Amino acid sequence: MRITCPYCGERALDEFTYRGDATVKRPDSLDENTAEAWVDYVYLRDNPAGPHKELWHHGAGCHAWLEVTRDTVTHEILDVAFARKGC
Amino acid sequence: MSSLKSMSALHGIVSPGRYGKQDGEPGVVASERRDIGLATIAARKGHEADLTAAVKAAYGAVLPSGPGSAVGPGVRFIGIGPGQWFAVSETLANEALADDLAERLKGLASVADHSSGRAIIRLEGPEVRAVLAKGLALDLDPRVFGDGAAATSTIGHMGALLWRDGEAYDIALFRSVGGSFWGWLRSAAAAFGLEVVTTS
Ligand SMILES: [Zn+2]
Repeated sequence: MRITCPYCGERALDEFTYRGDATVKRPDSLDENTAEAWVDYVYLRDNPAGPHKELWHHGAGCHAWLEVTRDTVTHEILDVAFARKGC
Repeated sequence: MSSLKSMSALHGIVSPGRYGKQDGEPGVVASERRDIGLATIAARKGHEADLTAAVKAAYGAVLPSGPGSAVGPGVRFIGIGPGQWFAVSETLANEALADDLAERLKGLASVADHSSGRAIIRLEGPEVRAVLAKGLALDLDPRVFGDGAAATSTIGHMGALLWRDGEAYDIALFRSVGGSFWGWLRSAAAAFGLEVVTTS
């Protein structure tokens, strides 16, 4: 599998580290009534068969965090973008 | 303040001479670029445009937005990631480069001295690309990796920053892997003949 880093170009998989689901959102609040949202954020993940947004870190390259859209059935990489918006 | 003595990263590891295939012209000529200034530059948030203008005014180079080089009088700037560059200078030797950058780019970028942390190995010769292909999964064909091109990747599983300076390929390694890199290079270049020369 190869990932085309928006900064470095096409690179081998072993330059990257998978860093988890990119669709979860960290709750803003630490209030007790947000406990369920925190459980969801920390533990619960969907298991889609098809396109999925994931975080990958280009640790052996430019050190950028990337948002990769990958088809979990075929492993096809559909899109790669910087996780940080506006760069 | 006492000053530290500059020492080669390959001191006691590599001696000048011919390695591997002994006859004919060497396929690869290796040297260590010593006593040069090395520093990283990271743009402060929201100051990318000001930083580019300041570097242009101070060093006569336009910071590249991707993995490539911009060369001004005495300093080369190499893109190593979004908003980050590696600077190399022969005229501003050792920590003088980082001091100069920090002063001129104050408030616009964070500057870190790398002159004592990295070894710069220069590889030249007709078989350089054939040797690097044994440990580096990048296309170095001149049509896609021309003069000034740069890449951060791994060579023989060791983290490396590589850039092309004319017909030479310069490789920046963490100096702690200098010995391991030498072991890799010696094996990889043996079939072509490797000549080690010193530059300083
Ligand atoms: Zn990258």
